[in-house]
Amino acid sequence: MSQSGPLKTRKRERKVEDPKSRHKRHEAMEAVKALDSIRFGFSENPKEMEYFYDLFERVYCSGETLHTDKPTIGTLCIQAPYEIIYALGGVPVRLCNGFHTDEQSGGDFMPAKSCSLVKATLGMLNQHNIPTVDRLDFIVHPTTCDQKTKSISTIEDMGYSVYHMEFPRHKESEESREYWRRSVRSFAKELSVKIGRKLTRKSMKEAIKKVARAQLAYHRLSELMKNDPVPILGKDIFLVTNAFFFDDIERWTNRVHALCDELQKRVDEGYNAASKRSPRILYTGSPPIFPNLKLPLMIEQADGVVVADESCSANRLFNDMVSVDEWFLYDMVDAVADRYLKGCTCPIFTRNEDRKRRLADLAKRYSIDGVVYQSFAGCQVYEMEQRSIQRELEKIGIPMLYVETDYSPGQGGQLSTRIEAFIESLKVRKRRVDHKKRGAV
Amino acid sequence: MSRLKKFIDRADIRRFRFWVQLSAFILFVYGGYLSIDLGREMPVFICGYDQEAAGMCYFMPLQHQLARDWERLFSAAGLGVLSAFAIFLLWFIIFNKAWCGYICPLGTMQDWITLLRKKIGVAYSNYTQSQYSSLKKIKYIFLAIVIIFPLLMGAGLFGGEWRAAFCKMCPGRLITPMFVGDFSQWSIDFSSNTAIFLTAFGIAFTILFIVGSFVKKRFFCFYCPMSAMHYIFSPFSILRLKKEGDKCTKCGDCYRVCDMQIFDIADDVVSKNILRDDCILCLKCIAACPEEDALHLDIVNMALFRSTKDGFAKRMGVDKERE
Repeated sequence: MSQSGPLKTRKRERKVEDPKSRHKRHEAMEAVKALDSIRFGFSENPKEMEYFYDLFERVYCSGETLHTDKPTIGTLCIQAPYEIIYALGGVPVRLCNGFHTDEQSGGDFMPAKSCSLVKATLGMLNQHNIPTVDRLDFIVHPTTCDQKTKSISTIEDMGYSVYHMEFPRHKESEESREYWRRSVRSFAKELSVKIGRKLTRKSMKEAIKKVARAQLAYHRLSELMKNDPVPILGKDIFLVTNAFFFDDIERWTNRVHALCDELQKRVDEGYNAASKRSPRILYTGSPPIFPNLKLPLMIEQADGVVVADESCSANRLFNDMVSVDEWFLYDMVDAVADRYLKGCTCPIFTRNEDRKRRLADLAKRYSIDGVVYQSFAGCQVYEMEQRSIQRELEKIGIPMLYVETDYSPGQGGQLSTRIEAFIESLKVRKRRVDHKKRGAV
Repeated sequence: MSRLKKFIDRADIRRFRFWVQLSAFILFVYGGYLSIDLGREMPVFICGYDQEAAGMCYFMPLQHQLARDWERLFSAAGLGVLSAFAIFLLWFIIFNKAWCGYICPLGTMQDWITLLRKKIGVAYSNYTQSQYSSLKKIKYIFLAIVIIFPLLMGAGLFGGEWRAAFCKMCPGRLITPMFVGDFSQWSIDFSSNTAIFLTAFGIAFTILFIVGSFVKKRFFCFYCPMSAMHYIFSPFSILRLKKEGDKCTKCGDCYRVCDMQIFDIADDVVSKNILRDDCILCLKCIAACPEEDALHLDIVNMALFRSTKDGFAKRMGVDKERE
C-alpha cells in the first residue's frame, strides 16, 4: 500500500498550478476582460489613450513592475500626503484594489457584509503580490474609515511595515486641523528616518510643484469635459486617473497633457464621443478602481456619458491645490496637511455639507442631467449619506440613481437593467426639455 | 479689455503690494519735504508727530475735537467735527480696508519686519482660535479710549493729562517720527501719574510692536482701533471683498495665507460680503485661491481682481513648461 502511493502519482504526473499562480492568472484574466471592454467595446478611442491602455496591459496583464529603483510607499487612502513621499524620494503606490479575485480571497479576513475595496486590498496584500510594484517598503495608513482602520492590524500581521497616521473625523474645528498637522509632521519625520533621507526645503518645494502640475493637468482634462458634445468618454477618464495611482507622476502629467491636446482638437472640430442626446452623468460614491470600472462602463454602454465625478479615485484626488505663503519647511508641510483635510468630501466626516455643495456645483458647471451614486455594499458611510445627498439633489431638480454594488460579476444583468432604465428616463426628460425649448422659440 | 482682465487676474499681488506699500510709505512719511499735505483726516496711522508727514492720522484731530467742552462741541462749532469726519469717511470709502494692507505706514513696517524674519528663515507663530477671538476684542477697547475718553474730558470728568490719551499709547507716535530722524518721542512724561502711565505704556507697546511683529505677522493690527473704526463704516465703501460660497471647496488656502487669521474667509460659505473686522484687504486670499471666481474684489459691483486657476498656477510657479 505504502509503495503504491508514489507509483500512482508518477503515473498521473501533470503540472499542478500552485494557488499563487492560479490567483495571478485569475487576476490577469479579469484585467484583460475589463481592459478589452474599455478598449474595444467602443469605437474611436482617442489615440493618446493608447499609452494608458498599454500601461494597464503591461502592469496588470503581463505583470510588469514599475519603480524598481525607488523606495515604494503603499498608501491605503488618498489622505496620505503624496508631496511628502515624493519629497523624500519615495514613490506612493495606492493600494486600493478593484479585483474580484482578491475580494474573494480577502473575504476570509472580513465580515460578510463589508466593503469590497477593503476586502480586495486585504486579499491582494495577503498574496504578497502587488501588481505595479515588485515590493512594498512601507505602508502608510491614515485612520480614515473604520474598515480600513481595523483591517490595518490584519495587514500588519501579514508582515508589512506599517505607519498609522492619525486622522480626525471632524474637520471644522481648529483642534482637528492642528491635530492633523501634527500627524503629517510626524509622518514626515518617520518616513525620513525609514527612507534615510532628509526632508529639505528644496525637495519639498519641488514635490509640491510636481503634484500641483499633475493636478493642473487633471483640471485641464476635466475642463474639457464641460464641453457639450464631450470629446472623450468617462470610462477613459477613470482609466487615466487610475493610472495616477502607480504611474511615474511626471510621465503621467505629460501624457495627460498630450491627451488634452488631442481632445482640444476634437472639441474644435465639434467631435462628439457620445451620441446626440446622451445624458450627462455625474458619478459619485465608492471609487471605481481598475478593473472594477463596470459602473461607468454600464452607464456608457447604455448611451449615457460620465462627464464629471466626485470620488476619491478621481476628482477628490486632484481637487485642492496647495498654496504656500512662505516657502519654508514649516509652512510647506502644514500647507500640505491642510490640503488633505480641509477640502476633503469623504463621507467619513461628521457633516457632509461640503460634499453636497461640491455635487451641486459640479452639477451646475458640467450641465449634468443625472447623478449615479454607487456605494459598495457594506460601506456604511456612503450608504448612510445617500439619503441626504438625494434630498439635496432633488432640491436642484437633478434625478439620482442609487446603486449598491460589489465586485462580483454575477450582479451584471440586474444592475445594467437599472442603469439602462435610468438613462432612458433621463433621455425622455431631455427630449421633453428640448421640445419645450424649440416650442418656445 | 479681456486681456487686461486676464493680466490683472494673473498679477503677482505680492510684488505689486510691496511696491505700492513702499511708495505709500515714502509719500506719507516724507511727503512733507515736497510740501504735500493731504489733510488731517487720514484713515491710517500716519502720525502727526512726524513733522514731515504728508497727512495726519484722523485719530489725533478727532481726540482733540471731541475733547472740547460739551457746550462748544454741541454748538455750531460741532459742524467742524462733522465735516472732518465726512472727509475721513470720503477717504475711507474709496479704498475700504485696503488703507491697512496697502497704505498704512505702520502696517508696512510690520510687513518689512516679516520680510526680515523670512530672510533669516524663522518660522512665524499664530494665535490659537480661542486666543484670537478674545484678543481681537482689544481693538474695540482702544477705540473706546479714542472716542469716549475725550468726551469725558469735555464733560469735565477727566483732567487735561488725558489729552489724546490713545496717541500717547500708540507705537506710531514713537516709530514714525524716527524715520525723519526724530527720536524725541522715546521719553516718559513725568508731569503727572497719568502721563507717566500713558507714555510708559506707549514705550512698552512699541517694544512689543517690534518684537511681536517679528514672530506674528501683522501683530499690531489685531489691536488697532483704526481697524475697528474702519469696520463700522466698511458697508459704505465702494470696494468690496466678496465670496461665492458655492464655488468654495473650503480647502483653506486663503485662511492659511491670511496674516490676520480670519477663519471665516475659508469656512463661511454663506456670506457674500466676506470682509471681517480684522481684514486688511491685502488680497493675499484672492491670490491664494485655486478656485475660479470664488473670491473677488469688487469696485461698485464690478470685479476688479478675481481668483482664477490660471492666476493661481502662475503665482505658484507651476505653469511654466506648459506655455
